[in-house]
Parts: sequence; structure tokens; C-alpha cells
Amino acid sequence: MQTNRGNSAATTLPRKKRKFISYEGKWGLLLVSPYLIQFIVFVIAPLIASLYFSFSQYDMLNAPQWIGLENYEKLFNEPLFYKSLWNTLYFAVLFVPAQAFLALLLAIALNQKIKALKLYRMAHFIPVISSWTVVMYVVDAIFNPRFGLANSFLIQLGLEPQKWLNDEQQVIPLLVLVAVWKGIGYIMIIYLSGLQNVPNELYEAAEMDGASSIRKFKSITLPLISPTTFLVIVLSTITTFQAFEQIYVMTGGAADISAAGGPNNASLVLMLYLYREGFSFLHMGYASAIAWILFIILFILTLLQLWGQKRWVHYH
Amino acid sequence: MNKRKFFTAKKIGYIILTISALIMVMPFVTALFNSLKTYAEFTAVPPKWIPEVFQWSNYPEVFKLGNFLDYTFNSFIVTGLSVLGAVISCSMVGYAFARLTFPFKNALFVMVLGTMMIPPIVVIIPHFMIFQQMNLLDTLVPLWLLECLAQPFGIFLMRQTFLSIPKDYEESSKLDGCNPFQTYWRIYLPMVKPSLATVAIFTFMTKWNEILAPSIYLTSNEKFTLPIGILSLGGQWFGNEQYMVAAALMSLVPILIVFLFAERYFVQNFSSSGIK
Repeated sequence: MQTNRGNSAATTLPRKKRKFISYEGKWGLLLVSPYLIQFIVFVIAPLIASLYFSFSQYDMLNAPQWIGLENYEKLFNEPLFYKSLWNTLYFAVLFVPAQAFLALLLAIALNQKIKALKLYRMAHFIPVISSWTVVMYVVDAIFNPRFGLANSFLIQLGLEPQKWLNDEQQVIPLLVLVAVWKGIGYIMIIYLSGLQNVPNELYEAAEMDGASSIRKFKSITLPLISPTTFLVIVLSTITTFQAFEQIYVMTGGAADISAAGGPNNASLVLMLYLYREGFSFLHMGYASAIAWILFIILFILTLLQLWGQKRWVHYH
Repeated sequence: MNKRKFFTAKKIGYIILTISALIMVMPFVTALFNSLKTYAEFTAVPPKWIPEVFQWSNYPEVFKLGNFLDYTFNSFIVTGLSVLGAVISCSMVGYAFARLTFPFKNALFVMVLGTMMIPPIVVIIPHFMIFQQMNLLDTLVPLWLLECLAQPFGIFLMRQTFLSIPKDYEESSKLDGCNPFQTYWRIYLPMVKPSLATVAIFTFMTKWNEILAPSIYLTSNEKFTLPIGILSLGGQWFGNEQYMVAAALMSLVPILIVFLFAERYFVQNFSSSGIK
């Protein structure tokens, strides 16, 4: 080990003042160096580069050429951009509240002294730990338009078989359904830990006052877990806007990326649009502009949610 | 709760949970049955839920076709190196933030938190270019290298854990002549095994299932990891879809085993992400 520093500190008088801090400081910087490298090489430099590319024409083969706001102008005149923005919003509006509500319902059911708690928790976690590839094959067993169980069930009931993911109208609702199915176990656990932080005395006091179950839920549970609800909503909004894997895998992008996005681009979301422009068409500048617009939209949404939380989130 | 009623809250809870658990598991059971069918049964209309004879041979068949063994090997390499790298780097950085004083410490920690808020997509294209410059496209390196450089969530989790350990240990190891690295490695690291397990499992899950990064960085089929490898089989195995279902279900097995053994760390990880 390095002893020079220790020796010189020992010979001079104030033994453990400034010198020791700088010794520890060096160790500290050494120990955080993995993050320092990551931050400089893979965070700050890429952020600057990406911003620069968004103002450039860049195809990866030639050096980027500064073209000012052209990428952004093109973006705002591009019907596909609006379509993918709309699809992303539509997905989020269906997904975020549905997942939060159903996960809360399950967490409340789970938050009692029930038997086989572990088994129930495990059942809800199998989709969480599955990759989207696994999920695709599993969902296909049900919603395959030709061989799936869902259509055979509909036919038995005397109803019309459906095209499911191949149907422009059904593709996003169905993707949302699958996303809720896959993610609900995760949110359920977050809610469960929120529920377990609600002090029991409050319920006992309310029971003494003769409050009904619904009343207790509305006046105690909901307000007290509102910070968890807020967190769940912010988290799932962010993940929804960055959703890529599910749509890439489930609507045919894996075989042919230009085919990704479902029938008539009905499930083309912003991330998929970005991926397609950047990595299939090598429009890296344009794709960077999409990335920054997506970032700005997310930032504004998060700010709005933070601003809105004052109205309904109660911190105890 | 009201005890006179037939439908107590508890009973309703059981009913809701049971229905929901069935909805969670049934599609997997259906897929499992599909993976045990012949192609004729697989494509039969109307479909038969349970196959006539279980074709267990579909499973060994998967290994004979395509690059399934390569995909599995690649997935284990990427996941293994990522887990190892994440555990070491996150605990090291987390320890420094929790226990040591060094220049710009607070500013750096704010940046860790800030990094968590930057959507990965904004930096995807520059990352691609960095790895292109380093001649690392179509190798597995980009898939695990970033994990070895301490990702923010792991740093945060490890820092919180190290903060909760009393300072006394540090002072006594200092008296024994340990430098900060030795103190971290010998004294503190063995005390935070549950958090290390949480970081390890979280990394395992993300890396085992990752699709975006491999689909960007890899082009040769034999370099693919399982999730995109199995997707790529679609083209090659047309007419053999039952094998693809078998392949997909097999790719679930390692993570399922990890989950069964370390369930409490999974739960711990997910609930800790719910802490305000």
C-alpha cells in the first residue's frame, strides 16, 4: 500500500487534519471512478452529442452537417410523427390508470392475513420476470387469429372471430391489456408496501366510530397511500412513453423492422418511430430530434404531475 | 370486519386473487401445451387445448435447430458479466458515497439521481457511435460494459444500505490499519449481502430479458442473445412454431429458478423502488 502519505503526515504536526482528508478523498474518488467514467463517457458526452446531432444531417457514413432547425421542422410537418405521438398518448391514457387501479385492488386483497400468500405473489410475478419474447409466444397461444383459444371461444359463443393484433382498432387496447397483465405484479408489490405503512390505529379508531369498509377505504386508505399512487403514476407514465420492446416484439418488428408498428402503423409509438428512423433508415439526426422531443414531452408531463400532486397527494 | 356477512372482505380477497392468479398463469399453461403438440395439432382449427400425446421430443429438437445453444451461451455471458460488474461497481460507488469524504461528493450524488431521470433513448444513438468507434459493434461487450460502470439505481440502493450500518466498524478497522478499500472489502461488503443480492437479481432480470440493446448492437445471428435469437427463429422455422414456443419457455427457466430461490430479494427490490 501507499505509505508515503502516511509517513509525511506522521512527521508533520497536525496528524489527522487536512492531509488525512485528502488521503480519504483520493480513495473516495478512486472508488467512485466507475461512476465518474460512466457519467463523463456515457452520460454527459452523449447528451451533448445527441443535442448536436439533432441539429445536423447525419447518416453515420459522412460527418454530421449542421442544418439548424430543419430536423425539427420536418418532424412537425410529418404525419407519422403525430400518429406515433397520438398512439403513445392513447396507450398511456388506457394503460396508466388501468394498471394503477387493478394493482391497488390486488394489493388490498393481498394485504390481509391470507394463506398461500407466497403462491399468490409468485403467480403474479411470472409475467413480470418473463421477457417480452416469452410473453409474445404465451399471448399468441390465446390471441392468435387462427389457432388461438380466444377466437375458438368466440366461435363457440356464436360470435365473430377477431383479428386481434392485426386489427387497426384492436391493436393498442390489446397491447395495453397485455402490458397490464405483465406489469401488474410489480405495481402490486409497490402498493403492498405502501399499504403496510398505513398505521393500523387509524382503522381501529374509524371502526370505533362505526365507519363502513368503503368509508374507511375512501377516508383513510386512499389519502394515506396517495404518495404511492403518485409514484406509480409517474413511473408508469415514464415507462409507457419509452415503451419499445413490447411493441417491437408483438407487432412484427422483430422479423422486419420496417413492418413494425402494426397494421397501417396503428401501433407505431414514438420509440419505435425513433428506432426505425435511426437504425433502419440511418437518419441519425432526425432520430435524435425525435429523442429530444420525446424527452421534452416527458419532462413537461412529469412537471405537470408534480404540480398536480398538490391537489390530491397527502404526505403524512 | 363484519363477521355476520357471508362475503367477508377476506373471502372476496381470496376470490379476486384466485381469479387474477389464474389469469396470470393460464396463458403460460396454454403455451406449455402448445409446445408439446405436433405441428398438425398446433395449427388445428378449432384448437385443442391439451395435446393428444405430449411431444416431449419437441424440447431436445430445439437444440438441434438454428443457433439456440449459441443464444443460450451468449445470454449467460452477458448476464453473468453484468451481474458481477454491477455488484462490484455499485457497492464500491455506493460505499464511497455513504462512507467517504471526497471532493465534489454532493454534486456527484445529485448527478447520480439526475442520471436516473434521463431517458435512455436520448443517448442511444451516441452510445451506438461510441461502440462503433471502439470497434465493438456485433460483439457482446456493449451489452455488459455499462453494467460494470455502476448504474444509478444500484448505487442508490447500496448507498442507502451502507448508510444504515453504524460507523463504529469503520473506526475500528481504521485503527487496525486498513485503508478505505480494505475497510469496504473486508468489513462492510460481507454485511450487505441482502442488498447485493437485490442488485444482482435486478441486473439478472433486466439483462436476461433485454431486447433493445441486443437488437441495436448485434447483427450476426450466432451473436444473438436468447430474447432476440428466438424471435429470429421465426423466419427459419416456419412451419415449426411449436418448437419456437418450446424455445421461449426454455429461455424462461433460468430466471424462474433464480426467482424461486431468491423470491424475497425480488420483492425487496420492487418494494424498495416504492420508497418515497
